[in-house]
Amino acid sequence: MHPDPAFALLEVYDAALPQVYGYLLARCGDRAHAEELTSETFLAAVQGCRDGGPVSPAWLIGIARHKLVDHWRRKERETRGLRLAYQEERVDDPWDEEVDALHAREVLAALTPDHRCALTLRYLDGLPVPEVARHLGRTVHATESLLARARAAFRRAYTGGPR
Amino acid sequence: MTDPFDALHLPVRPVDPDPAFAARLRARLADAVLAPDRGDMTSTETKLSTLTPYLAVTDARAAIEFYTEVFGAVRQGEPIVVDDGRVGHAELVFGGSVVMLSEEFPEVGHLAPVGTHPSYRIEVADLDGVVRRAVERGAELLRPVADSPHGRGGTVLDPFGHRWLVAEAAPQPQSGPAPRHGELGYHTFQVPDAEAAKSFYGAVLGWRFTPGRVQEGWRIDGAGTMAGLWGGQEQVGWKLMYAVRDLDAALAEVVGRGGTAGPVEREDYGLTAECTDDQGIGFWLWQA
Repeated sequence: MHPDPAFALLEVYDAALPQVYGYLLARCGDRAHAEELTSETFLAAVQGCRDGGPVSPAWLIGIARHKLVDHWRRKERETRGLRLAYQEERVDDPWDEEVDALHAREVLAALTPDHRCALTLRYLDGLPVPEVARHLGRTVHATESLLARARAAFRRAYTGGPR
Repeated sequence: MTDPFDALHLPVRPVDPDPAFAARLRARLADAVLAPDRGDMTSTETKLSTLTPYLAVTDARAAIEFYTEVFGAVRQGEPIVVDDGRVGHAELVFGGSVVMLSEEFPEVGHLAPVGTHPSYRIEVADLDGVVRRAVERGAELLRPVADSPHGRGGTVLDPFGHRWLVAEAAPQPQSGPAPRHGELGYHTFQVPDAEAAKSFYGAVLGWRFTPGRVQEGWRIDGAGTMAGLWGGQEQVGWKLMYAVRDLDAALAEVVGRGGTAGPVEREDYGLTAECTDDQGIGFWLWQA
Protein backbone atom coordinates (compact mmCIF):
# COMPACT_ATOMS: atom_id res chain seq x y z
CA MET A 1 0.00 0.00 0.00
CA HIS A 2 1.47 3.35 -1.03
CA PRO A 3 0.52 6.86 -0.08
CA ASP A 4 -1.43 8.71 -2.74
CA PRO A 5 1.08 9.79 -5.43
CA ALA A 6 -0.74 13.12 -5.64
CA PHE A 7 0.95 14.14 -2.37
CA ALA A 8 4.04 14.77 -4.49
CA LEU A 9 2.15 17.64 -6.06
CA LEU A 10 1.85 19.45 -2.74
CA GLU A 11 5.58 19.01 -2.24
CA VAL A 12 6.54 20.66 -5.53
CA TYR A 13 3.78 23.27 -5.38
CA ASP A 14 5.85 26.19 -4.07
CA ALA A 15 8.65 25.65 -6.58
CA ALA A 16 6.42 24.90 -9.57
CA LEU A 17 3.75 27.57 -9.08
CA PRO A 18 5.84 30.57 -10.32
CA GLN A 19 6.93 28.53 -13.36
CA VAL A 20 3.43 27.54 -14.37
CA TYR A 21 2.00 30.97 -13.60
CA GLY A 22 4.90 32.72 -15.39
CA TYR A 23 4.41 30.54 -18.48
CA LEU A 24 0.68 31.24 -18.62
CA LEU A 25 0.84 34.96 -17.76
CA ALA A 26 3.36 35.67 -20.53
CA ARG A 27 1.13 33.93 -23.06
CA CYS A 28 -2.39 34.87 -22.17
CA GLY A 29 -1.44 38.35 -21.04
CA ASP A 30 -3.86 39.01 -18.24
CA ARG A 31 -3.75 38.07 -14.62
CA ALA A 32 -7.32 36.79 -14.22
CA HIS A 33 -6.98 34.29 -17.05
CA ALA A 34 -3.49 33.27 -15.93
CA GLU A 35 -4.79 32.55 -12.42
CA GLU A 36 -7.76 30.60 -13.74
CA LEU A 37 -5.61 28.48 -16.04
CA THR A 38 -3.00 27.95 -13.32
CA SER A 39 -5.72 26.58 -11.05
CA GLU A 40 -7.02 24.33 -13.80
CA THR A 41 -3.50 23.06 -14.44
CA PHE A 42 -2.76 22.05 -10.85
CA LEU A 43 -6.18 20.49 -10.27
CA ALA A 44 -5.89 18.45 -13.48
CA ALA A 45 -2.44 17.34 -12.32
CA VAL A 46 -3.97 15.57 -9.29
CA GLN A 47 -5.50 12.90 -11.49
CA GLY A 48 -2.45 13.00 -13.76
CA CYS A 49 -0.22 12.03 -10.82
CA ARG A 50 -2.48 9.15 -9.92
CA ASP A 51 -2.25 7.97 -13.50
CA GLY A 52 1.52 7.88 -13.15
CA GLY A 53 2.49 11.34 -14.43
CA PRO A 54 6.09 12.34 -13.61
CA VAL A 55 5.61 15.28 -11.26
CA SER A 56 8.01 17.99 -12.49
CA PRO A 57 7.76 21.63 -13.58
CA ALA A 58 8.18 20.59 -17.25
CA TRP A 59 5.31 18.10 -16.94
CA LEU A 60 3.11 20.75 -15.30
CA ILE A 61 3.92 23.22 -18.09
CA GLY A 62 2.82 20.56 -20.58
CA ILE A 63 -0.54 20.44 -18.79
CA ALA A 64 -0.63 24.25 -18.70
CA ARG A 65 -0.10 24.31 -22.49
CA HIS A 66 -3.13 22.02 -22.93
CA LYS A 67 -5.20 24.30 -20.73
CA LEU A 68 -4.07 27.32 -22.74
CA VAL A 69 -5.05 25.64 -26.01
CA ASP A 70 -8.45 24.72 -24.54
CA HIS A 71 -8.91 28.31 -23.39
CA TRP A 72 -8.23 29.72 -26.85
CA ARG A 73 -10.48 27.10 -28.43
CA ARG A 74 -13.35 28.25 -26.22
CA LYS A 75 -12.66 31.86 -27.15
CA GLU A 76 -12.42 30.98 -30.81
CA ARG A 77 -15.84 29.31 -30.68
CA GLU A 78 -17.30 32.37 -28.97
CA THR A 79 -15.93 34.83 -31.50
CA ARG A 80 -16.14 32.82 -34.70
CA GLY A 81 -19.74 33.84 -35.37
CA LEU A 82 -18.68 37.49 -35.52
CA ARG A 83 -16.18 36.83 -38.28
CA LEU A 84 -18.13 34.53 -40.55
CA ALA A 85 -18.35 36.94 -43.45
CA TYR A 86 -14.69 37.87 -43.23
CA GLN A 87 -12.45 35.92 -45.60
CA GLU A 88 -8.77 36.30 -44.99
CA GLU A 89 -6.42 36.51 -47.91
CA ARG A 90 -3.73 33.87 -47.89
CA VAL A 91 -0.34 35.45 -48.38
CA ASP A 92 2.91 34.25 -46.94
CA ASP A 93 5.76 35.84 -48.90
CA PRO A 94 9.21 36.16 -47.40
CA TRP A 95 9.35 38.78 -44.72
CA ASP A 96 12.67 39.88 -43.27
CA GLU A 97 11.63 42.64 -40.96
CA GLU A 98 13.16 42.43 -37.52
CA VAL A 99 10.44 41.58 -35.04
CA ASP A 100 10.36 43.65 -31.89
CA ALA A 101 9.33 41.34 -29.07
CA LEU A 102 7.42 43.92 -27.07
CA HIS A 103 5.38 45.16 -30.00
CA ALA A 104 4.88 41.53 -31.04
CA ARG A 105 3.14 40.74 -27.74
CA GLU A 106 0.63 43.52 -28.32
CA VAL A 107 0.04 42.36 -31.86
CA LEU A 108 -0.45 38.75 -30.74
CA ALA A 109 -2.99 39.84 -28.15
CA ALA A 110 -5.04 41.51 -30.86
CA LEU A 111 -5.18 38.44 -33.13
CA THR A 112 -8.06 35.97 -33.22
CA PRO A 113 -7.73 33.16 -30.63
CA ASP A 114 -6.94 30.46 -33.20
CA HIS A 115 -4.13 32.52 -34.79
CA ARG A 116 -2.78 33.50 -31.41
CA CYS A 117 -2.84 29.88 -30.28
CA ALA A 118 -1.05 28.56 -33.37
CA LEU A 119 1.67 31.23 -33.26
CA THR A 120 2.19 30.76 -29.52
CA LEU A 121 2.70 27.03 -29.79
CA ARG A 122 4.92 27.29 -32.88
CA TYR A 123 7.04 30.32 -32.03
CA LEU A 124 6.78 31.32 -28.36
CA ASP A 125 6.98 27.70 -27.19
CA GLY A 126 9.11 26.65 -30.18
CA LEU A 127 7.20 23.42 -30.87
CA PRO A 128 7.71 21.71 -34.24
CA VAL A 129 4.71 21.80 -36.59
CA PRO A 130 3.64 18.14 -36.05
CA GLU A 131 3.58 18.82 -32.30
CA VAL A 132 1.48 21.94 -32.84
CA ALA A 133 -0.87 19.86 -34.99
CA ARG A 134 -1.24 17.31 -32.20
CA HIS A 135 -2.15 20.02 -29.69
CA LEU A 136 -4.71 21.53 -32.04
CA GLY A 137 -6.18 18.19 -33.08
CA ARG A 138 -5.57 19.05 -36.75
CA THR A 139 -3.60 17.41 -39.52
CA VAL A 140 -0.09 18.69 -40.22
CA HIS A 141 -1.29 20.06 -43.54
CA ALA A 142 -4.21 21.94 -41.98
CA THR A 143 -1.86 23.23 -39.28
CA GLU A 144 0.60 24.52 -41.85
CA SER A 145 -2.11 26.49 -43.62
CA LEU A 146 -3.45 27.80 -40.31
CA LEU A 147 0.09 28.93 -39.44
CA ALA A 148 0.42 30.60 -42.84
CA ARG A 149 -2.82 32.53 -42.31
CA ALA A 150 -1.78 33.36 -38.74
CA ARG A 151 1.60 34.71 -39.92
CA ALA A 152 -0.12 36.79 -42.56
CA ALA A 153 -2.55 38.22 -40.02
CA PHE A 154 0.32 38.91 -37.65
CA ARG A 155 2.27 40.75 -40.32
CA ARG A 156 -0.67 42.87 -41.33
CA ALA A 157 -1.27 43.87 -37.73
CA TYR A 158 2.43 44.31 -37.02
CA THR A 159 3.01 46.64 -39.94
CA GLY A 160 -0.14 48.55 -39.11
CA GLY A 161 -2.16 47.38 -42.10
CA PRO A 162 -5.80 46.29 -41.96
CA ARG A 163 -6.40 42.82 -40.53
CA MET B 1 17.95 31.35 -43.15
CA THR B 2 16.47 32.75 -39.99
CA ASP B 3 12.77 33.16 -39.63
CA PRO B 4 11.81 36.58 -38.22
CA PHE B 5 9.12 34.79 -36.24
CA ASP B 6 11.88 33.07 -34.25
CA ALA B 7 12.25 36.37 -32.39
CA LEU B 8 8.98 35.54 -30.67
CA HIS B 9 10.55 32.66 -28.76
CA LEU B 10 9.69 33.04 -25.11
CA PRO B 11 11.43 30.83 -22.54
CA VAL B 12 9.56 30.16 -19.31
CA ARG B 13 10.31 32.91 -16.80
CA PRO B 14 8.97 32.27 -13.31
CA VAL B 15 6.58 34.92 -11.99
CA ASP B 16 5.33 34.90 -8.41
CA PRO B 17 1.54 35.16 -8.42
CA ASP B 18 -0.48 37.09 -5.88
CA PRO B 19 0.21 35.39 -2.51
CA ALA B 20 -3.50 35.27 -1.71
CA PHE B 21 -4.15 33.41 -4.96
CA ALA B 22 -1.23 31.04 -4.25
CA ALA B 23 -2.64 30.23 -0.81
CA ARG B 24 -6.18 29.68 -2.13
CA LEU B 25 -4.95 27.36 -4.84
CA ARG B 26 -2.80 25.41 -2.38
CA ALA B 27 -5.88 24.84 -0.20
CA ARG B 28 -7.95 23.68 -3.20
CA LEU B 29 -5.14 21.42 -4.28
CA ALA B 30 -4.83 19.87 -0.81
CA ASP B 31 -8.59 19.21 -0.84
CA ALA B 32 -8.35 17.55 -4.24
CA VAL B 33 -5.40 15.42 -3.18
CA LEU B 34 -7.10 14.25 0.01
CA ALA B 35 -10.48 13.66 -1.59
CA PRO B 36 -11.28 10.15 -2.77
CA ASP B 37 -9.63 9.27 -6.05
CA ARG B 38 -12.65 9.82 -8.19
CA GLY B 39 -11.69 12.38 -10.77
CA ASP B 40 -11.69 11.22 -14.35
CA MET B 41 -12.98 7.68 -14.33
CA THR B 42 -11.05 5.55 -16.71
CA SER B 43 -12.98 3.02 -18.73
CA THR B 44 -11.57 0.13 -16.75
CA GLU B 45 -12.99 1.44 -13.48
CA THR B 46 -16.21 0.05 -12.13
CA LYS B 47 -18.68 2.90 -11.94
CA LEU B 48 -20.59 3.54 -8.79
CA SER B 49 -24.15 2.28 -8.77
CA THR B 50 -27.00 3.97 -6.93
CA LEU B 51 -26.08 2.52 -3.55
CA THR B 52 -22.55 1.91 -2.30
CA PRO B 53 -21.79 0.51 1.17
CA TYR B 54 -19.06 2.41 3.04
CA LEU B 55 -17.56 0.10 5.65
CA ALA B 56 -15.75 1.24 8.77
CA VAL B 57 -13.08 -1.22 9.88
CA THR B 58 -10.43 -1.20 12.59
CA ASP B 59 -7.69 -2.53 10.32
CA ALA B 60 -8.16 -1.64 6.67
CA ARG B 61 -5.10 -3.51 5.44
CA ALA B 62 -6.31 -6.75 7.04
CA ALA B 63 -9.85 -6.14 5.79
CA ILE B 64 -8.68 -5.55 2.21
CA GLU B 65 -6.68 -8.75 2.35
CA PHE B 66 -9.64 -10.67 3.78
CA TYR B 67 -12.11 -9.41 1.18
CA THR B 68 -9.76 -9.99 -1.74
CA GLU B 69 -8.80 -13.49 -0.58
CA VAL B 70 -12.24 -14.65 0.46
CA PHE B 71 -14.57 -12.96 -2.00
CA GLY B 72 -12.18 -12.34 -4.85
CA ALA B 73 -12.69 -8.58 -4.51
CA VAL B 74 -10.34 -6.47 -6.59
CA ARG B 75 -8.80 -3.23 -5.41
CA GLN B 76 -9.82 -0.15 -7.36
CA GLY B 77 -7.19 2.58 -7.23
CA GLU B 78 -4.66 2.87 -4.47
CA PRO B 79 -5.88 3.22 -0.89
CA ILE B 80 -5.44 6.75 0.41
CA VAL B 81 -3.29 6.95 3.50
CA VAL B 82 -3.68 10.09 5.58
CA ASP B 83 -0.90 11.85 7.49
CA ASP B 84 -1.25 9.83 10.69
CA GLY B 85 -1.03 6.53 8.79
CA ARG B 86 -4.71 5.66 8.87
CA VAL B 87 -6.27 4.36 5.67
CA GLY B 88 -8.63 7.20 4.84
CA HIS B 89 -10.27 5.62 1.82
CA ALA B 90 -10.08 2.43 -0.18
CA GLU B 91 -12.29 0.86 -2.82
CA LEU B 92 -12.88 -2.78 -3.63
CA VAL B 93 -14.86 -4.17 -6.51
CA PHE B 94 -17.01 -7.18 -5.65
CA GLY B 95 -18.20 -8.57 -8.99
CA GLY B 96 -19.94 -5.53 -10.49
CA SER B 97 -20.31 -3.52 -7.28
CA VAL B 98 -17.98 -1.09 -5.56
CA VAL B 99 -17.58 -1.18 -1.80
CA MET B 100 -15.73 1.65 -0.05
CA LEU B 101 -14.04 1.32 3.28
CA SER B 102 -11.82 3.23 5.62
CA GLU B 103 -10.45 2.94 9.12
CA GLU B 104 -12.25 4.53 12.03
CA PHE B 105 -12.60 8.31 12.20
CA PRO B 106 -14.29 8.88 15.57
CA GLU B 107 -14.12 12.64 14.97
CA VAL B 108 -16.84 12.25 12.30
CA GLY B 109 -18.65 9.32 13.91
CA HIS B 110 -17.26 6.78 11.43
CA LEU B 111 -16.87 3.72 13.69
CA ALA B 112 -16.46 0.00 13.11
CA PRO B 113 -19.49 -2.02 14.28
CA VAL B 114 -19.34 -3.30 17.85
CA GLY B 115 -22.19 -5.36 19.31
CA THR B 116 -24.25 -4.85 16.16
CA HIS B 117 -23.59 -6.33 12.76
CA PRO B 118 -24.62 -4.71 9.51
CA SER B 119 -25.50 -7.27 6.83
CA TYR B 120 -24.67 -7.45 3.16
CA ARG B 121 -25.94 -10.02 0.69
CA ILE B 122 -23.39 -11.18 -1.85
CA GLU B 123 -23.71 -13.61 -4.76
CA VAL B 124 -20.73 -15.81 -5.59
CA ALA B 125 -20.07 -18.55 -8.11
CA ASP B 126 -18.19 -20.70 -5.62
CA LEU B 127 -20.37 -20.63 -2.51
CA ASP B 128 -18.71 -23.45 -0.59
CA GLY B 129 -15.22 -22.17 -1.34
CA VAL B 130 -16.06 -18.64 -0.22
CA VAL B 131 -17.58 -19.76 3.07
CA ARG B 132 -14.70 -22.17 3.72
CA ARG B 133 -12.06 -19.50 3.03
CA ALA B 134 -13.92 -17.00 5.21
CA VAL B 135 -13.91 -19.36 8.19
CA GLU B 136 -10.26 -20.30 7.60
CA ARG B 137 -9.41 -16.61 7.77
CA GLY B 138 -11.17 -15.99 11.06
CA ALA B 139 -14.82 -15.38 10.18
CA GLU B 140 -17.47 -16.84 12.45
CA LEU B 141 -19.89 -19.24 10.74
CA LEU B 142 -23.35 -17.99 11.68
CA ARG B 143 -25.30 -20.24 9.31
CA PRO B 144 -23.72 -23.14 7.43
CA VAL B 145 -24.33 -23.50 3.71
CA ALA B 146 -27.78 -24.98 3.15
CA ASP B 147 -30.62 -24.97 0.68
CA SER B 148 -33.44 -22.58 1.41
CA PRO B 149 -36.54 -21.46 -0.44
CA HIS B 150 -34.40 -18.54 -1.65
CA GLY B 151 -31.62 -20.78 -3.00
CA ARG B 152 -28.40 -22.11 -1.48
CA GLY B 153 -26.54 -19.87 0.91
CA GLY B 154 -24.71 -19.43 4.19
CA THR B 155 -23.89 -16.58 6.57
CA VAL B 156 -20.55 -15.54 8.03
CA LEU B 157 -19.50 -12.77 10.41
CA ASP B 158 -16.15 -11.41 9.26
CA PRO B 159 -13.37 -10.47 11.71
CA PHE B 160 -14.29 -6.79 11.30
CA GLY B 161 -17.88 -7.12 12.52
CA HIS B 162 -19.65 -7.18 9.16
CA ARG B 163 -22.12 -9.96 8.37
CA TRP B 164 -22.26 -11.47 4.89
CA LEU B 165 -25.25 -13.41 3.57
CA VAL B 166 -23.44 -15.45 0.94
CA ALA B 167 -25.68 -16.73 -1.83
CA GLU B 168 -24.94 -18.97 -4.75
CA ALA B 169 -25.06 -17.03 -8.01
CA ALA B 170 -27.27 -18.40 -10.73
CA PRO B 171 -25.16 -20.01 -13.45
CA GLN B 172 -23.99 -17.53 -16.07
CA PRO B 173 -26.30 -17.71 -19.04
CA GLN B 174 -24.43 -19.07 -22.02
CA SER B 175 -24.09 -16.22 -24.48
CA GLY B 176 -24.85 -17.22 -28.03
CA PRO B 177 -25.20 -20.75 -29.34
CA ALA B 178 -22.98 -23.48 -27.93
CA PRO B 179 -19.72 -23.92 -29.84
CA ARG B 180 -19.81 -26.39 -32.71
CA HIS B 181 -17.30 -29.14 -33.40
CA GLY B 182 -13.82 -27.65 -33.70
CA GLU B 183 -14.69 -24.29 -32.17
CA LEU B 184 -13.16 -22.79 -29.05
CA GLY B 185 -15.29 -23.50 -26.01
CA TYR B 186 -13.27 -22.08 -23.14
CA HIS B 187 -10.00 -20.23 -22.59
CA THR B 188 -7.83 -20.81 -19.54
CA PHE B 189 -5.04 -18.40 -18.80
CA GLN B 190 -2.42 -20.40 -16.92
CA VAL B 191 0.03 -18.44 -14.79
CA PRO B 192 2.52 -19.20 -12.04
CA ASP B 193 0.92 -16.70 -9.62
CA ALA B 194 -2.82 -16.02 -9.80
CA GLU B 195 -2.73 -13.02 -7.45
CA ALA B 196 -0.05 -11.27 -9.48
CA ALA B 197 -2.00 -11.91 -12.70
CA LYS B 198 -5.23 -10.65 -11.11
CA SER B 199 -3.74 -7.36 -10.09
CA PHE B 200 -1.81 -6.92 -13.33
CA TYR B 201 -4.62 -7.71 -15.77
CA GLY B 202 -7.23 -6.18 -13.49
CA ALA B 203 -5.33 -2.90 -13.76
CA VAL B 204 -4.35 -3.08 -17.42
CA LEU B 205 -7.48 -4.61 -18.96
CA GLY B 206 -10.10 -4.06 -16.27
CA TRP B 207 -10.83 -7.76 -15.92
CA ARG B 208 -12.72 -8.81 -12.84
CA PHE B 209 -12.36 -12.16 -11.16
CA THR B 210 -14.74 -14.35 -9.24
CA PRO B 211 -13.58 -17.49 -7.46
CA GLY B 212 -13.76 -20.52 -9.71
CA ARG B 213 -14.29 -24.19 -9.09
CA VAL B 214 -10.67 -25.25 -8.58
CA GLN B 215 -7.91 -24.20 -6.19
CA GLU B 216 -6.32 -20.96 -7.51
CA GLY B 217 -8.90 -20.89 -10.28
CA TRP B 218 -10.83 -17.70 -11.09
CA ARG B 219 -13.48 -16.88 -13.62
CA ILE B 220 -12.50 -13.90 -15.77
CA ASP B 221 -15.19 -11.33 -16.50
CA GLY B 222 -14.40 -8.79 -19.16
CA ALA B 223 -12.26 -10.85 -21.55
CA GLY B 224 -15.13 -10.97 -24.04
CA THR B 225 -15.19 -14.75 -24.03
CA MET B 226 -15.65 -17.61 -21.61
CA ALA B 227 -12.35 -17.52 -19.80
CA GLY B 228 -10.66 -18.44 -16.56
CA LEU B 229 -7.40 -17.77 -14.76
CA TRP B 230 -5.52 -20.65 -13.18
CA GLY B 231 -2.56 -20.06 -10.89
CA GLY B 232 0.22 -22.42 -9.90
CA GLN B 233 0.58 -23.84 -13.40
CA GLU B 234 3.76 -24.92 -15.11
CA GLN B 235 2.58 -24.56 -18.70
CA VAL B 236 2.23 -20.79 -18.85
CA GLY B 237 -0.03 -18.97 -21.30
CA TRP B 238 -3.47 -19.52 -22.75
CA LYS B 239 -4.63 -23.11 -22.78
CA LEU B 240 -7.65 -23.75 -24.92
CA MET B 241 -10.63 -26.05 -24.78
CA TYR B 242 -12.11 -27.14 -28.09
CA ALA B 243 -15.62 -28.44 -28.56
CA VAL B 244 -16.02 -31.82 -30.22
CA ARG B 245 -19.11 -33.76 -31.31
CA ASP B 246 -17.92 -37.12 -30.04
CA LEU B 247 -15.26 -37.08 -27.34
CA ASP B 248 -14.35 -40.78 -27.55
CA ALA B 249 -13.81 -40.60 -31.30
CA ALA B 250 -11.75 -37.42 -30.96
CA LEU B 251 -9.55 -38.94 -28.23
CA ALA B 252 -8.88 -41.97 -30.41
CA GLU B 253 -7.80 -39.64 -33.21
CA VAL B 254 -5.53 -37.70 -30.79
CA VAL B 255 -3.75 -40.87 -29.74
CA GLY B 256 -3.62 -42.24 -33.30
CA ARG B 257 -1.88 -39.00 -34.42
CA GLY B 258 0.82 -39.20 -31.76
CA GLY B 259 -0.81 -37.05 -29.09
CA THR B 260 -1.76 -38.05 -25.57
CA ALA B 261 -5.24 -38.20 -24.07
CA GLY B 262 -6.02 -38.03 -20.36
CA PRO B 263 -9.00 -39.67 -18.65
CA VAL B 264 -12.49 -38.44 -19.46
CA GLU B 265 -13.91 -36.30 -16.65
CA ARG B 266 -17.58 -35.62 -16.14
CA GLU B 267 -18.29 -31.95 -15.30
CA ASP B 268 -21.66 -30.27 -14.98
CA TYR B 269 -21.07 -28.61 -18.36
CA GLY B 270 -20.22 -31.89 -20.14
CA LEU B 271 -17.39 -34.38 -20.67
CA THR B 272 -13.80 -33.19 -20.90
CA ALA B 273 -10.35 -34.68 -21.33
CA GLU B 274 -6.93 -33.09 -21.03
CA CYS B 275 -4.73 -33.82 -24.05
CA THR B 276 -1.46 -32.90 -25.67
CA ASP B 277 -0.86 -32.78 -29.39
CA ASP B 278 2.00 -34.55 -31.18
CA GLN B 279 4.27 -31.55 -30.46
CA GLY B 280 3.54 -31.59 -26.74
CA ILE B 281 1.15 -28.62 -26.62
CA GLY B 282 -1.57 -29.07 -24.04
CA PHE B 283 -5.30 -28.52 -24.66
CA TRP B 284 -8.65 -29.80 -23.56
CA LEU B 285 -11.42 -31.42 -25.53
CA TRP B 286 -15.00 -30.93 -24.50
CA GLN B 287 -18.23 -32.61 -25.46
CA ALA B 288 -21.26 -30.67 -24.27
